[in-house]
Amino acid sequence: MLYHLVKKDFLLAKRYWIVLLIAALVLPVFIHTKLMAGGEFPSFFISTLFIAYLMFNSASMAEDKFRGAAYLCATPYTRKKLVIAKYVMVAVLFAACYLLYTLTALIAPLELRLLNLYESGLAVLILQIAFGVIIPIQYRFGYEKSRYIFFFMIFITPFVMPSVIKLLQNSSMDWSNIPLSQPMQGLLFVLLAAVIGAASLLISIRVYASRDL
Amino acid sequence: MKPILEVNELTKQLGSFKLDNVSFSLTEGCITGFIGVNGAGKTTTIKLLLGLIQKDAGEIKFFGKSIQNNEHEFKNRIGIVLDDGYFYDDLTLLEMKNVIAASYSNWDNRLFKRNIDRFGLPLNQRIGTLSKGMRMKYAIALAISHHADLLIMDEPTSGLDPQVRLELMDILLEYVGEGKSVFLSSHITSDLDKVADMLILIHGGRIIFSEEKDLLLDKHGLVKGDNKELNEQSKALFLTLDETDYGFSGLTADKAAVRRQMKNVYIERPSIEDIMLSYIKR
Repeated sequence: MLYHLVKKDFLLAKRYWIVLLIAALVLPVFIHTKLMAGGEFPSFFISTLFIAYLMFNSASMAEDKFRGAAYLCATPYTRKKLVIAKYVMVAVLFAACYLLYTLTALIAPLELRLLNLYESGLAVLILQIAFGVIIPIQYRFGYEKSRYIFFFMIFITPFVMPSVIKLLQNSSMDWSNIPLSQPMQGLLFVLLAAVIGAASLLISIRVYASRDL
Repeated sequence: MKPILEVNELTKQLGSFKLDNVSFSLTEGCITGFIGVNGAGKTTTIKLLLGLIQKDAGEIKFFGKSIQNNEHEFKNRIGIVLDDGYFYDDLTLLEMKNVIAASYSNWDNRLFKRNIDRFGLPLNQRIGTLSKGMRMKYAIALAISHHADLLIMDEPTSGLDPQVRLELMDILLEYVGEGKSVFLSSHITSDLDKVADMLILIHGGRIIFSEEKDLLLDKHGLVKGDNKELNEQSKALFLTLDETDYGFSGLTADKAAVRRQMKNVYIERPSIEDIMLSYIKR
């Protein structure tokens, strides 16, 4: 059941498949060449966020346009399953981007290092935080209204980010002081991402359960 | 015949519109027409049945069991046809079918293939390219390919040409012939004249009547006659009355009383539309 719902979300965005596949292969390389040494993590993270958001957004746009979810909810599919499918879609997208990045790193004729467990875990955590916020907001306010909310959030980011970075720099939090090896920290990030994902999923299920379709 | 679906005091406030204590039941092996003008509450009732909107109060039972506690079983045993289809236009018929089929535990792919062949639908075509009639046939093919006991249809004939509407009515008669039931909402009552066994009229969010069609048509009469036949007592027998210089015409719900009190009048059999409009105009 869940497989077909996830497949449906991918099919709804099928017109972007080729473009995003190329983006997944080319973007990390391009960003890396601009950043040079140590640019593997940001190049992977930025390209994955871009691809996952575009795919997710395309599926949501089609969902909003055709209102197919109302039909699906009238079949034995539960609303809960529809919500879970959205989270699975994002997880699959991340896995696909990771796989494509690894393939690119292995075959690209330039020095693009493979991501270590720490970097992978951190990417999972940041992406999970992003989508952990995006998905419930979209279920709560619908596709159209949430677009304006995201636009507003992106708009205020340049004004808020310097203060956040300053705050982080001044804070006593230092990851290197944590008595854990980097791979273990990576696993900790994945665990944290799983907790955030589960909380976000529960919120989305609750919000969607009471929505009129 | 036992009731297949029972709706008791269903209530929902939607802005300024209120679905007010709606109660009715559907009988096994029957086509029940759910009639009313646009905005009467037909789609709201159907959406409440399907759980697409949350009810404020009331209870819905399917084969005696509350659908709230047996949602999966209920949805597995019903087929649905919604007014706009609510299909993903960018998917092909086959892709959409694969999504829908996976949700039903008793999906019959051979039956679906038979229906698709019968309706002449191309499975590799995009849904968005289908005509309104083809779209409706596809919706029916999806709705009847898992041996559903009850088919719930919201305005299926709206926007269809007479030939497709006729074909649709034949499909419904065939379906009911297999012992299944159909609940069909429509504001085009001429279609129901031919196929409906039961009729439920909703207006302003309230059920006006719920009766057997033949009984309803027998009970009501379209009366025409000279104005001199009318007096205060006889006027009270009419649901609606139009008086002109040449005579009157009106619809009564008590033909026997009209016959007793008015000797020189013609009484004709009304259409469902006549009956519906007269109750709405009251």
